[in-house]
Amino acid sequence: MLTLRDIRKSYRIGPTEVEVLKGVSLEIQQGELVSIMGQSGCGKSTLMNIIGLLDRPTSGSFMLDGAEVSYSNDDTLSEIRNQRIGFVFQQYFLLSRLTALENVALPLVYRGDKGTNSHERCMELLKRVGMADRAQHRPNELSGGQQQRVAIARALVGNPSLILADEPTGALDTNVGGEIMELFKTLNAEEGITVVIITHDPGIARQCKRVAVMKDGVILS
Amino acid sequence: MIHPSHLKEAARSLLASKQRTILALIGIVIGIGSVIAMVSVGRIVQEESLRQFKEMGTDILTIEKEFGGSGPPGMPGAPAAGAAAKAALRLATILAIPSRCPGIAAVAPSVRGSGDISFAGKKLERCSPMGVTASFLDINKLTMRKGRFLSDLDEQSRYCVIGSQVAAELQKQGASQLLGSKIRLGDNLFTVIGVTNEVPQGGMRRFEPNEMIYVHITTGLRVFANAEIQSITARVSNGTTNNAARDQVMAYVASLGKGQTVRITSPEEIIAQMEKQMQMFTLLLGAIGSISLIVGGVGVMNVMLVSVTERRREIGIRRALGAKRGDIRGQFLIESVILSLIGGLFGIIFGIGASWLIAHFAKWQFALSFSAILLGVGVSNAVGIFFGYYPARQASLLDPIVALKSD
Ligand SMILES: Nc1ncnc2c1ncn2[C@@H]1O[C@H](COP(=O)(O)OP(=O)(O)OP(=O)(O)O)[C@@H](O)[C@H]1O
Ligand SMILES: [Mg+2]
Repeated sequence: MLTLRDIRKSYRIGPTEVEVLKGVSLEIQQGELVSIMGQSGCGKSTLMNIIGLLDRPTSGSFMLDGAEVSYSNDDTLSEIRNQRIGFVFQQYFLLSRLTALENVALPLVYRGDKGTNSHERCMELLKRVGMADRAQHRPNELSGGQQQRVAIARALVGNPSLILADEPTGALDTNVGGEIMELFKTLNAEEGITVVIITHDPGIARQCKRVAVMKDGVILS
Repeated sequence: MIHPSHLKEAARSLLASKQRTILALIGIVIGIGSVIAMVSVGRIVQEESLRQFKEMGTDILTIEKEFGGSGPPGMPGAPAAGAAAKAALRLATILAIPSRCPGIAAVAPSVRGSGDISFAGKKLERCSPMGVTASFLDINKLTMRKGRFLSDLDEQSRYCVIGSQVAAELQKQGASQLLGSKIRLGDNLFTVIGVTNEVPQGGMRRFEPNEMIYVHITTGLRVFANAEIQSITARVSNGTTNNAARDQVMAYVASLGKGQTVRITSPEEIIAQMEKQMQMFTLLLGAIGSISLIVGGVGVMNVMLVSVTERRREIGIRRALGAKRGDIRGQFLIESVILSLIGGLFGIIFGIGASWLIAHFAKWQFALSFSAILLGVGVSNAVGIFFGYYPARQASLLDPIVALKSD
């Protein structure tokens, strides 16, 4: 479903240019559950942001569902993020002024359709992640694990084919992290959603069918 | 681009920074208020002049004795003491105007008195005596509520006719019967023989009809201290223009050869004067309004710029979830428009209040102008869009990943 070929990304800091990704090539099939591991600072998040179309590579080719996307215009990228990609971040990134339900509904707001049944859809997803009874709570009234569940519901609400999770359990204790991981596994198994998880936790990585290891800006295996 | 949830969102985020929001609003409130006041005062004056035209007619001239101003040099009999004292216009001279000037149909000279006025030993406030002729009632479009007006047979009599305000005052002082009541003007007692109907305040008359105590002009000239005829209301004959009639009167007064000069004002001039007064308000309010709108607009821009900086993370999250640049721009534009519309709303209230006060003190009849309200809404909307566009654009141009990484 996605093919990266010789992706490079460099940052210019003052006069020096630092190359963070030094030619990453990676192919992920529809329905895979992949984890990416590697030392801190090796460029995992940078790679993830490029896959998530939040950032652009300096060079290289990125095909998503058979189409080259790295040079598409901003609106097209927004649309792809909205329609096909669900994000889960280490810091949850829920909007603090909105209730759990409203947070989950956000991606639908940007779909243009005024979706009359969006409320049911969001409730259904909250139920799915076990948060239905907290629909009217705001993020600061929820625990970290609960917030991450809401964030997962938000990532799922738009029926994405790809979920990108950057250290989704990084801020959670092992038990709660395990529960979150179970959720990803079920989604992957039952709905065939492609899931890419960045993690430092070998226990998490072990549960994935495939582990990609990064080192110094390249993928080793 | 505009989604109902955006409106809710906008309201929420404005509430989240109340103080800053309120400060920015003050400028908008004053700005819109001034604009509203400006427009509605204009409207009030327009209606007022129309009303006065209708009420008094356009064929009334006010003739006043000119004070000061140097008369023709070397005139015999000019007092050495200065220009102030000129020979008074004699009553007979004035009463002869209609026969000497064909352009004038009727004249109503008047003489103002001063001094204490009392009823049953109690001082009457807010009223003043005036000596008039029988023609006075018609020319000034006054009507009787009770009794009769002074007639030419009342020369030198001790009868008086009172305005509605004076009548109310008398009743307050315990007069059971208005007609026949006795009012003391200085050393003289006057018997009330009539009461005039109430007349709306303001207008082209140089006196407050409701606060007057009318006596016959011959009586007035005798009993008022330093009595002198200073003002004459004249009705222009049918078919004569105001200017022609004025020239005739000027010529007539000059022909008297006593160095007397008069100033003649037509309704057009009074209205022009009123409009000049209004233009002053308009200018003042316009200046205050536009300055405050700019200040308010800059305030709105500041609030929005700070808001954009504070909410970079939020912008990043929204972008990650699929918001396009236009969505972000729209979101912040809606906020700034709502912000200035709230200011506009208070401004409209403020402006209507201000124009009510202006009308009150200028003694014009207050009128609510719907177009002014529409204008207020429109202008505040425009301020919101104009001053909100730059911050909204800044927000929309943020790089998603940069926004997401910021805190
Ligand atoms: N905007 C930037 N400007 C300059 N350098 C950057 C920028 N973003 C990331 N880097 C650098 O790129 C390198 C890779 O960062 P990245 O966040 O991808 O690491 P990571 O593998 O996700 O690490 P971690 O496991 O700690 O999250 C780091 O050395 C970082 O300093
Ligand atoms: Mg990282």
